[in-house]
Amino acid sequence: MRFTLLGTVILTAAPFWLFLFLLHGVTGMVATGLRLTTMIASFLWLGAALPPPRLVEAMVAAGWPVTAAFLLSATLSAVPKLRERAVRIADAQRCRGLRTRGGPLVRLAALRAIALPLVLSALHEVDERALALETRGLAHGVRRTPLAPPPDRPVERLARWGLLVACVAALVWRFA
Amino acid sequence: MTSTRLALEHVTYHYPATAAPALADVSLELHGGEVVGVIGSVGAGASTLLLVAAELAPRVLGGTRSGAVRCDGRSALLLPTPWTQVSGMAVSVWDEVAFGPANLGWPRDRISSAVDRALTRVDVAQLRDRDPGTLSGGELQRVILAGILAMEPEVLLLDEPTAELDPAGARFVWDLLRALARAGTAVLVATSDLDALPGAADRVVWLAGGRVRAAGAARVVLGDAALWSDDGPGSTSAAGAWRLAGLPTPLPLTVADVLARLP
Repeated sequence: MRFTLLGTVILTAAPFWLFLFLLHGVTGMVATGLRLTTMIASFLWLGAALPPPRLVEAMVAAGWPVTAAFLLSATLSAVPKLRERAVRIADAQRCRGLRTRGGPLVRLAALRAIALPLVLSALHEVDERALALETRGLAHGVRRTPLAPPPDRPVERLARWGLLVACVAALVWRFA
Repeated sequence: MTSTRLALEHVTYHYPATAAPALADVSLELHGGEVVGVIGSVGAGASTLLLVAAELAPRVLGGTRSGAVRCDGRSALLLPTPWTQVSGMAVSVWDEVAFGPANLGWPRDRISSAVDRALTRVDVAQLRDRDPGTLSGGELQRVILAGILAMEPEVLLLDEPTAELDPAGARFVWDLLRALARAGTAVLVATSDLDALPGAADRVVWLAGGRVRAAGAARVVLGDAALWSDDGPGSTSAAGAWRLAGLPTPLPLTVADVLARLP
């Protein structure tokens, strides 16, 4: 099943709205829920609009250490990669006779048979991936050359500084 | 053959929380311009030897090492499973191959020429715009090898570089390793493709239980009857067939050797 960005934002934010309603009533739910939804939407929009490799290039071009950029990129791409791996493991387990369709108990049993190899294989891959990245110079201690960073126009830089100033001004106004 | 590029002196290495050493008192010299094959049964320590030579063990993997490892020049290691070596930071094969050189901080011109040269050398230039996630295992193996070569290492360490390749692809890689050695690169390769070694390797090191059981000229080590003992990896297919037929030693190592020996 595929969700639109808006649908993903709603599905992610909905549980928070429910808890906020139970804890703080309608007013608190709206006040805090809107802020939370804004943060969730911003994060998901960033992930959907910018492929992680481009994000890394942009961060490196902006002067971030490549290891920090890679960490953020790997975090953003972890969920889709884990989902792909889970599909492959489920296919493999079905080939070996695992039933994945049926009632809740059947699905729960299937989940266990998929989750364990998913976690173990991911942990195993972490070691190999660390070795591979190391041998390809990721932690070399040298500033990485950005290959094709996204264009960063003066108006965009100005907008970023403007937003930063607005945030500081809002904080000052709030706590002054 | 030129100066010593890599030297291991009485190296003993324990993985974390293990009592038995994975390598025990291993000494080895690798010179520029030569291809040295490392053979052994599963668990003999061939992969560990490469990790220690690349200074990834114990620096990244942990564990303890005694003895000395000296490397003169840049080394790079090709691991056996290509899909775990994909950077995840590339939208095209060209970007994937450029990942290592970019991490070395080279200027873009140098990166561009090194990447183009490596893609051509490994015969994957036609894949340059493909998404690495859509490649077959063999294609990916070659792309990762291109990524290693693009970093222009003086010491090239390879762990089962032909594992994902078809016979023609494997022959291509062995020819490439010989060509790299002719250009001065020092090549240390752990492999179970023993049939390739008589033609591809200058020397062979046989590891058993983490120790060097034999080392020397490829034809001498591969012709050793002890390779067929319980802890040995065997030798080439031609030698195996000759031995099974009960024909007299020395064992021929290649089909050409067999044809030369037949009446």
